[in-house]
Amino acid sequence: MKLRFWGVRGSFAMSGRDYLRYGGNTTSIELVTAAGERLLVDLGTGATELAKQLMTTEFAKGAGKLPILLTHTHLDHIQGLPFFTPFFIKGNEIQIMGADPISGLSLEATLQNQLSPHYSPLNGLENLAAGVTIKSFVPGTNLTLPGFSVATAAFPHGSMWTTAFRIAADGKIVTLLTDVEYPSPDEPLPEAIALATGADLVVHDAMHADRDYELRKGWGHSPARAGVVVAERARARRLALFHHSPDATDDMIDDVVARTSASTPVAVFAAAEGNYLDI
Amino acid sequence: MQITFWGVRGSYPVPGAATVRYGGQTSCVEARTASGETVIVDAGTGMRSLGNKLATEANGQPRPYHVLLSHVHWDHIQGLPFFSPAYTPGTRISVYALLTAANELDQVIGGITRHEFFPMPLEAVPANFDFHQVEPGVDFVIGAFHITPIALNHPFGSVGYRIDADGQSWAYVADTAPFDQVLHKQHFLSGPEPLSADDKVALGAMRAALVERLKGVDTVVYDTHFLPEEYARFPHYGHSTPDQALDICVEAGVRCLVLYHHAPAHSDEQMDQIAAAYLAKGALRGISVLTSFEGMTIPIGAPT
Repeated sequence: MKLRFWGVRGSFAMSGRDYLRYGGNTTSIELVTAAGERLLVDLGTGATELAKQLMTTEFAKGAGKLPILLTHTHLDHIQGLPFFTPFFIKGNEIQIMGADPISGLSLEATLQNQLSPHYSPLNGLENLAAGVTIKSFVPGTNLTLPGFSVATAAFPHGSMWTTAFRIAADGKIVTLLTDVEYPSPDEPLPEAIALATGADLVVHDAMHADRDYELRKGWGHSPARAGVVVAERARARRLALFHHSPDATDDMIDDVVARTSASTPVAVFAAAEGNYLDI
Repeated sequence: MQITFWGVRGSYPVPGAATVRYGGQTSCVEARTASGETVIVDAGTGMRSLGNKLATEANGQPRPYHVLLSHVHWDHIQGLPFFSPAYTPGTRISVYALLTAANELDQVIGGITRHEFFPMPLEAVPANFDFHQVEPGVDFVIGAFHITPIALNHPFGSVGYRIDADGQSWAYVADTAPFDQVLHKQHFLSGPEPLSADDKVALGAMRAALVERLKGVDTVVYDTHFLPEEYARFPHYGHSTPDQALDICVEAGVRCLVLYHHAPAHSDEQMDQIAAAYLAKGALRGISVLTSFEGMTIPIGAPT
């Protein structure tokens, strides 16, 4: 399995020279199996860059198939949707899967509202030329997708919930725990450790530097050390710090990685836009 | 009066090495009088940096802010929840926009901060918001600024603004399609539709009113999203080319045209070529053409 981060930034897309090495696009992660099956997680602005690459493949001819998982529907995780060009080619089959954001409001209604005529000239999901299906699942459900098996679990995220994923393919495991906040970063929820057990890579919310966390407690994000505790207890092989704060420049992220690495035997790096990583 | 560009990009923010010089943030322009009064035009992602600057100026004190919206597509409102002065209690934020659909403006703006999209709903934000509907042809005053809304041609409607202060005048003309091939209404366009005789009359009237309002204006910031060959493929997307902006501005006798709302796919190198090509084209027609970039501040000249 290979993984590529197309967007690693939390909350807000950041352009400019201070954000070039880790990247300023909001969240989007592509996973590809050895056989070439593909899975996308989140449709932040990073997805628009992946879209350009997909449009050099069968997606340009309307012969592409893609499953997309959404962690949740905060705007930084879906703002690339109206600009994901494979949606505009008839024949592509794209399935978007995620939890309903709040009780009584479906995932489909939420995405429909994102494309309402106030906000978007697309004026509704029905105007996307590709075959787009929206499927809600209840976190806790296991999903079987071509090439991937995915376990899901809900975690508190400020005023709502987010979905975390344990993704298995090619005998490897990647666990995505973003936009999560535990009652204490030093005592992650047991469900998080279970989801990350034995993972080859844990991608974890690290919105805050440890020293900034106290001021932002309750905002729905973790300090870098929460991911370390999860990775250590789950005996994961590597930890990628993810969902970087819009205020975190490249140099500040370097500093967080250095401090975090010094505190744990787990191999730690900061997620960055760029190349495919071998899992 | 001077104006500063905080976001110059159209459609969606584009971070990365290809956009560092012109900038990747979406629509947001600040106008400032000699005495320091400000209005903000559009609340795209550029509004976050502007907010940080204004918060520093305010030094913790609540102040009033005025935000003129051209329309409420995401790239023109996404910055509002990240405008840091909104989190200072006592701050008042007045938002002005064209009402283009049945819902009330506060619900449209409040809608982007509902639970499913943003962690803090508008009602919970410490600032007090008030919402004002603008109508093309009905002028209004905000402090030292005299504002003239101008109807534009964009899906579900859009409004430009002529802004006069300090005896000087500039205008914000975005987002808009040209006024010949497509008339945007309240429905989705999958491509250009045939124009009725009434449509042609409506387009002609809209164009004439725009030119009339731009007479005597020193500087015009114009939606020039597309190059001509791009426009030819997507005439129904609601955006113009620099050539179409030049025609309007030359006809109105404008001194300076500023290219704005750059396509997200246009890299810095392409923008350099666009800037050079249209500087030359403008010179041949007696008009100064600037290409906006993030952080650019320009003085507004005296009225012609």
